[in-house]
Amino acid sequence: MNYIFEGFKFKKKNTLIHDLDPRAKFIYLIMSFISALLFTEPIPLVIIFLTSLPLVIIAKTLKEWSRSMKSLSLFVTFIFILNLLSMTENRLNYAFSMVFRFLALTSAFSVFFLTTTPDDFMSALEEMGLPKEYTLMFTMSMRFVPTLARDLQIIVDAQKSRGLELEKGSLIKKVRNYVPILIPLIIYEIRRSIMIAEALEARAFGALRKTTSYTELKMGIRDYIFIFIVVFFFGMLIFLKIFGYLPEWMMIKLPEII
Amino acid sequence: MTEIVVEVKDLYYSYNSQPVLQGVNLKIRRGEIIAIMGENGAGKTTLIKHFNGLLKPKRGSVKVFGIDTRNASVAELSRKVGLVFQNPDHQLFAETVEKEVEFALRNFGFEEEVVKKRVEWALNLMGLAKYRNRSPFTLSVGERKRLAIASVLSYDPELIIFDEPTAGQDFLQKERIAELLNLLRTRGKTVIIVTHDVEFVATRFERVIVMSQGKIIGDGSFREILSNSEILEKARLLPPQIVKCAWLLSDIGVPRDTLYPEELVRKIEEVIRR
Repeated sequence: MNYIFEGFKFKKKNTLIHDLDPRAKFIYLIMSFISALLFTEPIPLVIIFLTSLPLVIIAKTLKEWSRSMKSLSLFVTFIFILNLLSMTENRLNYAFSMVFRFLALTSAFSVFFLTTTPDDFMSALEEMGLPKEYTLMFTMSMRFVPTLARDLQIIVDAQKSRGLELEKGSLIKKVRNYVPILIPLIIYEIRRSIMIAEALEARAFGALRKTTSYTELKMGIRDYIFIFIVVFFFGMLIFLKIFGYLPEWMMIKLPEII
Repeated sequence: MTEIVVEVKDLYYSYNSQPVLQGVNLKIRRGEIIAIMGENGAGKTTLIKHFNGLLKPKRGSVKVFGIDTRNASVAELSRKVGLVFQNPDHQLFAETVEKEVEFALRNFGFEEEVVKKRVEWALNLMGLAKYRNRSPFTLSVGERKRLAIASVLSYDPELIIFDEPTAGQDFLQKERIAELLNLLRTRGKTVIIVTHDVEFVATRFERVIVMSQGKIIGDGSFREILSNSEILEKARLLPPQIVKCAWLLSDIGVPRDTLYPEELVRKIEEVIRR
């Protein structure tokens, strides 16, 4: 479980990707997001997934990235089986595509968050005109992921100490076993968020419409080159898809299973 | 010689390659009332989590009632070892106070009649009987804490461990917890308390264990430990006020290991009469 978080947690490193302007990386995130959602063919989705690989390598985060990809295997299996069962035709093709859509999305997110501090991301969003309330909401949710994981661990320990056995019983019983875990967690986090809101207000959050920023973002030549490459590549894919110019080999479908 | 309830041998434990426990050796006998003290991060909570198998030793061994914790599940060990967590909000979930207490009893598969009796007993013991049909979330902090204790005491474990039971409790609540300790003592239970509260420990505990940086740096009677300035300093604990007073008066002949108010008064009187 912790490995999943690790694949999305910023780690300070001195690489080209880390130094890029967060807005440039955000454009990459949005572009790969749009293309991943646009395509349903397996080959383009595999290509979109693979585009994150050079970035991961340049950013020297291959270890964290591959760990988080590995830990997603449970979700991947789930998505694969669900799609395989729910589709009536072209099942294998569709299930395979959905798996790679999921991987492409999470991989792009992983690259982005591995190399961008939440603070940088927040100021990038603010530069783009998002109100402070929303950007703060986002950075706070990032900030509290490890806290949440810790709370969860304590709650699991506490209930285990009262004789709760999570793995015991039938499937329905197993799901019900999580009730004593989820209820304290939800209530505890709601209480915590109320406290945080009060603490923020006590420190005059929202007193001024426009606030000043400690760090200022500046786009350099590297950022423009990166944006150009990203927009060109994904723009091309999107263009080909929308106007129906996709080459034959990109539209190859996986064989039907009986 | 009384039975040994917990036996810790050369225990090492680390979280993500950061050492937390570094060679802990400890024997606890049936019926002992023990306080484990030490600064934050000394490894107290990590140590007690080994006693019901939540954590398994990385090196060394922990035997509880003769069972090696590595060979038993948390549920099996919890039947005999009750662990009350610091924050009740990490465990309360049921619709009513009564159901909250029933939870552990049902997990351990007690008969329906026994469940009823035990719930009744635990609620009365902790003074919660009048709230039995209320939601646990509507109770005050002190009441929630007592409910968490009741939910563990209900299944009558032999060894009961409290993590910081007095943190955030007012004087009256502390007295209640002290009374509870006395009751458990008369029932022949073994009790371990993790605490920072030197004043609370001073008058009530026979044996004090002091931890610092993953090691036990002091283990003895509370008089030995709480009047030992070296150990207290190492563990960053302040001595109880009476001890501090005795230290200040030591140059006129008051012994440094004076612990109780009455004792202090007597010693001062002796000095004055001399």
